[in-house]
Amino acid sequence: MIRMISGELRLGLTPREIETVRKVLGREPNETEWAIIDAEWSEHSSYKSSKKMLKLLPTTGRRVLLGPGYDAGVVDVGNGYVITLHIESHNHPSAVDPYGGAATGIGGVLRDILSMGSRPVALLDMLRFGDVARSNHARWLFTNVVRGIADYGNCVGVPTVAGDVEFDESFERNCLVDVACVGLARKEKLILGESKNPGDVLVLIGGSTGRDGVGGASFASKNLTAGSETERSSVQVPAPFTKKLLIDAILEAAETGLIGGMKDLGGGGLSTALSELASKGGTGVDVELTKVRTRHNEMTPAEIMTSESQERMILVLAPHGSEPVLEILKKYDVPHDVIGRVTAAGSMKVRVDGKVVADLPVELVTGAPLIPWGSKKPNLAGRQAAARPADPKIASSLLALMSSPNIADRSWVYRQYDHEVGTRTVVKPGDGDASLLRMPNGRMLAVKADGNSKHSSLDPRSGGAGCVAEACRNVVAVGAEPIAMVDHLQFGDPSDPEVYWSFQESVEGIADYCSELGLPVVGGKVSFYNEDSSTKVAIKPSPIAMVVGLDDRMMRPMSWFAASGESIFAIGRTKPELGGSEYFESVLRYAGGSVPKADPAGDKRLYRAVLKLVKYGLAAAVHDCSKGGLAVALAEMCIPSAVGASIDLARVPADTPDPVDLLFSESHGRFVLSSRDRKGVEKILKASGVPYSMVGRTEGKMLQFSRGRRRLAAVGVGRLAKAWRDSLPEMMD
Amino acid sequence: MSKVGLFSVKVVVSNAEGASDPEGETIYRDLVSKSGFTQVKGIRSGKFLRISVEAPDAKTARELVAKMCDDLRIYNPAAHSLTVEV
Amino acid sequence: MRVAVVRFPGSNCDLDAVQAIRTVPGMKADLVWHEDPAISGYDAAVLPGGFSFGDYLRAGAIAARSPALRHVSRMADGGVPVLGICNGFQILVEAGLLPGALLKNTTLKFVCKWTNVRVENTNTPFTRAFKEGQILRVPIAHSEGRYYLPERDLRRLEDDGGVAFRYCDERGRAVESANPTGTLGNIAGVCNEMGNVVGLMPHPERATESILSPSGSSDGRHIFESLLRND
Repeated sequence: MIRMISGELRLGLTPREIETVRKVLGREPNETEWAIIDAEWSEHSSYKSSKKMLKLLPTTGRRVLLGPGYDAGVVDVGNGYVITLHIESHNHPSAVDPYGGAATGIGGVLRDILSMGSRPVALLDMLRFGDVARSNHARWLFTNVVRGIADYGNCVGVPTVAGDVEFDESFERNCLVDVACVGLARKEKLILGESKNPGDVLVLIGGSTGRDGVGGASFASKNLTAGSETERSSVQVPAPFTKKLLIDAILEAAETGLIGGMKDLGGGGLSTALSELASKGGTGVDVELTKVRTRHNEMTPAEIMTSESQERMILVLAPHGSEPVLEILKKYDVPHDVIGRVTAAGSMKVRVDGKVVADLPVELVTGAPLIPWGSKKPNLAGRQAAARPADPKIASSLLALMSSPNIADRSWVYRQYDHEVGTRTVVKPGDGDASLLRMPNGRMLAVKADGNSKHSSLDPRSGGAGCVAEACRNVVAVGAEPIAMVDHLQFGDPSDPEVYWSFQESVEGIADYCSELGLPVVGGKVSFYNEDSSTKVAIKPSPIAMVVGLDDRMMRPMSWFAASGESIFAIGRTKPELGGSEYFESVLRYAGGSVPKADPAGDKRLYRAVLKLVKYGLAAAVHDCSKGGLAVALAEMCIPSAVGASIDLARVPADTPDPVDLLFSESHGRFVLSSRDRKGVEKILKASGVPYSMVGRTEGKMLQFSRGRRRLAAVGVGRLAKAWRDSLPEMMD
Repeated sequence: MSKVGLFSVKVVVSNAEGASDPEGETIYRDLVSKSGFTQVKGIRSGKFLRISVEAPDAKTARELVAKMCDDLRIYNPAAHSLTVEV
Repeated sequence: MRVAVVRFPGSNCDLDAVQAIRTVPGMKADLVWHEDPAISGYDAAVLPGGFSFGDYLRAGAIAARSPALRHVSRMADGGVPVLGICNGFQILVEAGLLPGALLKNTTLKFVCKWTNVRVENTNTPFTRAFKEGQILRVPIAHSEGRYYLPERDLRRLEDDGGVAFRYCDERGRAVESANPTGTLGNIAGVCNEMGNVVGLMPHPERATESILSPSGSSDGRHIFESLLRND
């Protein structure tokens, strides 16, 4: 039974939007219609605050088959194969229910990949929490988010192969839980989220529809409040087993070639899925809500249309001849119901027992007016660098950095994830700067995601470009050429002009870097309204980039020193860019300074040179320099095989003589490379025009730094390893 | 001086009322129903804790455990419902 | 040699197992749905890893009551080789085809890593290709893999050669530091009295090609190759 009146209408629409709806429609919408518009016009579904800026991003390229606008971006990887890419976050649900929120976040991103008819083959998780060293709440969130990801991802059999974790007080109550997924498909088997043919039937499959998640899209498009804990209806229960059956059933059904269109039910539920199918297909829909399996008695039409219950998809099937698809759904016990059909009318008709309860033009539902937010450059305090201590205490500073949660060994996290299932993972988490997956076309796919909110908060333009640069470096370090990326842009309340300014700057930074490098952005997501529920302070701006790269060589360098006697090269220039660095934060307890600026033109040459060294088998080990600078990069290369190194800082290509800058500056565009063939490396680097220098050799059991003949510091690799490895387990277990 | 006794308090944490319960639903559908127990009409799963508490009376014991479950996040009110019985 | 890889709802290492077996010359592998009686017609059965029925109730508990296990049970009684990998091991234990129980790891966490495993019994159809005491590099990925048996039964299992695999260090010593889950006596796999039913927590199908192994090994392959050896 469907209850007709709910009596409580909680709209997220602005007065201006309400007026627009009335004007376009020429009448007062009823309650169901308001709910449909509210869901689809939410920030989450409409991108009304961000769309204009996102147009700056380069989205095309020779490998790009489908850019932003669909459930996932599609990239050609050769020999008839494509990969699909999508990124999502589940920040607000995870802040309230970290276990269920993180788990259902994976569920959502998997459905986007699945709805393209592609097999999900890899997950990445990018997580941001408060200060885990001090805060119980941050530890509670971290523990349960990781457990939620593990329980869900492991169960559905999609390996979690890479990710990124960062800690900052600004995420104390508004943690960020981002998930990206990579899918794999034969090009000709791709399915799009559109309903092109009037007369086709709409089949709702998967879980039942309940009140859980009603208003979720609006929930994600508001600031968290202290009362959010009790916004129970917005929390969804993870059902990975149901999802696994859905994956198996859909992949088998996609093979039949009979699915005309497919769409997952995510934010905004049926409202969003139906209106987007019709909008993309240039058609309309007519659905009967009594055909929808509901979990509760007396749900209103508005609740059914906007419920975000998990594990549901819509299939568009021809009215006749689709029996093989239904047989497959039956085999896997996946419930399926014909709930309506595609019409030529361009309208969205919703019925209860045949009686129309909502009738809206599709164009109106999907046409949320853009919001021209004001923007104002904030007074970014602390532009000048911190006063340097007279004695930089290199050894103890390096040990402090190694044990900082932002740098320490992540195996506490990735050991909880099955990163092997599918037997594609060739370079596994912890074994390389990026993970490498083998594909059925004989090529390798590198994947990695990065972001740096500390840099972004001081200089969002440089931080935006920097996250792309870092992810590119990681992909290049395993010998792959970056071919595409997706981004996730996370900010506070866009109605705050300073927040909106940081958003604009970030997008422009990313756009500039990608345009120069020729790296297409094939998809992405924007999440606003991330602020602390009690202090009302926005999170630090947190753009995140996931970059994928292609590698068709069998030559793969290690990311660490395997033996003594190798020559160590520093490639790329070190600049005095300690702003937002881990050294400033965890050693000097200072936030400010001038942050690293990426140079896409220089990076282009740099990546080409490093890839060439890898290709010719000249690189024994390659590792990029990022958080913690050159010193941390070297330490990370010494730890795995307990091989020491002696480094002469006077030889490091740099714009600064200060050892603190040389060791800890986080300048982009740098790699450390080791080789047994010094001359061979020098020949290629010389011709490439990138700054480089041989800075030392692998030897002994200590990491030693000197300047010319003057010894500056020496730390045992064992001590570095202990500081790095014990940090997270000691905090968390 | 009031007398203090030892009370056994039973705590059940389950998914919130009205929320789905994939574990209970799977046990019901794939094990119980398929094995012919047609009389069984539904199953909901949960986590059970038996807690021994020193308290002057049952009501105090119950209140203490309920507060403890809140304070220590033994359940998450955003996702679960809690029943406490002495 | 035709092998049935039994696919339960929620199995997720089924395709990996089929692919791994097919890399062995002379072996054929088919995916067989758990309700399909065709299972009985195969020369051997493999129950793959994953989360059958979501691992609800206990890992393997629901799958152990599925139609497939009636067939597998008859095959086991008739001496047909049956291998349970990870969740498949859990199912065999829940179905009573192997002794003991698999409890939650002492860390209470899922653990995914490469381990060293020592072959303890070479007298099963899945271990014939090994020398006794041979060390394999194979990965584990599970949260309920702590093998448990009451003291007296454990002694009998050990005496009867029922321990098939044990976690060890690089030198083959079954030391505590090489025990990833708190499993009793470092036990990684066991077999039944007849030796034809073997269960193990590590994933040999993830270790059949050198490209997948951090050390370049392909030890898991020999578990499947053993099936081709007659003694």
